[in-house]
Amino acid sequence: MRKIALLILISLGAASSQTMAQCNPDNFTTACIPKLATGFNFLKSYKIDGDGGAKEKVEYSYVFTKGTQYMINICADGSATDGIIISLFDSNRNRVASSKIDNQVVSAIAYPCSATGIYYIQYTFDKSAGYCGGSALGFKR
Amino acid sequence: MKKLFVFALAFFLASCGQQKKTDEQEFQTAMDSLQDAGPKIDENLVNGILQQIPSPLEIASILKESGSKYESSILNSEDNLSKYNTNFSKALNLGVFGTDLGYTNIYEQSKDGIKFLSAIKSLANDLNIGQFFDIETIGRLASNSKNLDSLLLITTQNFNDINGYLQNQGRSKISVLLLTGGWIEAMQIICQAATKNTKNKDLPEKIGEQQIILGQLVLLLSFFEKEEDMASLLKDLRELENAFKGVEITTTYKESTMKIVNGVAVITDNSTTSIKITPDDVKNITQIVNSMRNKIIN
Repeated sequence: MRKIALLILISLGAASSQTMAQCNPDNFTTACIPKLATGFNFLKSYKIDGDGGAKEKVEYSYVFTKGTQYMINICADGSATDGIIISLFDSNRNRVASSKIDNQVVSAIAYPCSATGIYYIQYTFDKSAGYCGGSALGFKR
Repeated sequence: MKKLFVFALAFFLASCGQQKKTDEQEFQTAMDSLQDAGPKIDENLVNGILQQIPSPLEIASILKESGSKYESSILNSEDNLSKYNTNFSKALNLGVFGTDLGYTNIYEQSKDGIKFLSAIKSLANDLNIGQFFDIETIGRLASNSKNLDSLLLITTQNFNDINGYLQNQGRSKISVLLLTGGWIEAMQIICQAATKNTKNKDLPEKIGEQQIILGQLVLLLSFFEKEEDMASLLKDLRELENAFKGVEITTTYKESTMKIVNGVAVITDNSTTSIKITPDDVKNITQIVNSMRNKIIN
């Protein structure tokens, strides 16, 4: 009987520690929306869940329009971006923007689009601790 | 020790119980899925395409920037609400009214927007997604023009939450219809503006670039083409696609330049797009859009 009780307690402990380590990107996406620069209208929020490092990247896509300026930002736990990098690719998979420039990682990119098309917003992890974050996309004309 | 065991077991069962939906919720979800899902489709694929479709707010902003005047007469009327008796027409017209609300907000004509709120709430309730529409807050924000930013934010968030919920519930068909209705209404608004303002060279170009979004909508609808109502809508969209055949979008890629300014990566996009569209193309597209929109709202 004692062994069974102990087993259940251990299982519960393991389950709760797993829950604590789980990524909950909703809080980060909510935090990111007001951080869009003044003048940008919110469009979409994106969840970034790297599954504890099991995923190399998280990717979304969106149709960007010529003549519109877009801003994409990142919110994460701990340091500003927790090693999460945004890269933007056009429909032919040419990289057109990144939040890592000359080894410096910043928390937002401003992209004035001059070619209408489908773009891929990719989030990758560089020495990330939590592999978890949120992001917001905004636009202004 | 027995007490400890009972406590552990009770705790375990309670945690399971919290995660489980009530029978009523499960039944409702099952009923909704039966009504909306239709044949088995790849929800992940559909959701991936759905998230690409841009917000109608962007078109409204383009119009305002182009100097086009605000026209309430081109919007749908809340008096049409009683005509919408199926989930198909309700979802399409929720999209239509959503675009109309966005248009009034962008033009800071929130008092007109308030007229749409009860129609939006009614359609959303009928589709079991009314809980995501914070009508009270939207109404309060709309009553004061100083709240424009908050108003735009909350309406966008509400529609995003609705789409997210529908996709998680396996009801992406409703999401597809919401976006299609919203897009057709945005197209109707921009086509009307282009017809009235033929000297404006930007508007035909903006119509032309909608070819990309139309392609994605056709793809989305094609997943549901075994359903009669969806097949009929798809047929109309394909006819519209034909009217876009003469439109040429040419993109030339050139590497971007990037620099960090005040902690933000500021990009200079050196790629370009040219869009060729003739006045006849605009005329044909406008005719089909108007016909489709009339079918949807009447």
